[in-house]
Amino acid sequence: MDFLDILREKAFLGREFLTWLWFKSDQLGGLIEIPGKRTIEVIFLDQMTLDLSDSESPQTVALKGEQSELREGMAALKEGKKIEEARIRIRPSDEDFTMVLKGTWFAFGSFRTPPVLPPQDAESEQDAEGAFLEKTYLIEQGMDAVDDLFEYFLKLRISDQWELQEVSGIRNWIENSGA
Amino acid sequence: MGFASRSVSIIRYRVRGEMEGSFWDAVDSGIKKGAFRNTETAGDIVAAGWVAIEDFTDNAFAGASYHRANYAALALRIDSVKVPPRILEIHLKSETKKLLEQGDQKRLSSGQRRDLKERLRETLKSRIFPSIQVYDLMWDTLKETVYFGSLGVKARERFEDHFKKSFGLTLRPIVPYIRAEDLLKDESEKRALENLKPSSFVA
Repeated sequence: MDFLDILREKAFLGREFLTWLWFKSDQLGGLIEIPGKRTIEVIFLDQMTLDLSDSESPQTVALKGEQSELREGMAALKEGKKIEEARIRIRPSDEDFTMVLKGTWFAFGSFRTPPVLPPQDAESEQDAEGAFLEKTYLIEQGMDAVDDLFEYFLKLRISDQWELQEVSGIRNWIENSGA
Repeated sequence: MGFASRSVSIIRYRVRGEMEGSFWDAVDSGIKKGAFRNTETAGDIVAAGWVAIEDFTDNAFAGASYHRANYAALALRIDSVKVPPRILEIHLKSETKKLLEQGDQKRLSSGQRRDLKERLRETLKSRIFPSIQVYDLMWDTLKETVYFGSLGVKARERFEDHFKKSFGLTLRPIVPYIRAEDLLKDESEKRALENLKPSSFVA
């Protein structure tokens, strides 16, 4: 499939992933258990953009503020919008990663890993390389966690369980949100 | 903001294509081919290319300093100059006046005016400090994946283009669908992915 066609026709996959992720996180108190793999804590923070992707004229809503205000996002979901980007915190183990996860590009904005010794404080070239590799390792840890969550979503998305269970669960969640 | 910063922005690419000969030799010659240097063409960009990830003034990469375990770590530096439009206008007016006084024309033709404007822009560029942008990248050569440190459309386009020119390899952003293609091995799963249509979450 041509890349431009993928962008045009399949962008919904990223938006559905983020919307499903919010649903799962909200329903499970943040703790998402990936069958056969691990449990990852996912918390939606103070920033979100929603988009009506299937409309001819794109309509976006940007929300920023306290977590409780993200409830306004629910009103946008009720209008048929899906999440295009969201600031989230994930804890694959006992360390925090925060990022603005982007749906269409699957990109990581303002990505913060747990801290490492910055290279300018490192004394030798070897230390600088060590700091680089440590930072790279941390970046990959964060991305791997997101990839595991995405894989969990994807397996559900192409299964019969998606329509039977997940979609109706999401609909009920939106319907009963009180927004 | 580079990868060493507390907060980074990253987009992932899959590297596609083959390089000839030994892999790291080809990487080395690609980096040297695309190393930071002055550009010879007209336009806002006056210099561009690869520099060391920890030092944007280093375009020599002594001892293959970019090579870290299975990664190639680099930065793309882009120096650009934009002549302020009103400065250009001042010079254009004064040069036009001079030219008209010297010749017997009453006004410049649109072609002459365009040529003069371009010539003045190129001359004025050397009098202005460039704006320097530096974008980090890490190439995981085992996973054939590149992490690029900017989400800006222009920066990404320049990077994709410069990477192709340097290494002869194409970069494809790992958007969700492409990640999904990587993850699904089974033919029936791949077909199911291909046939997916958007779901409605509104009852």
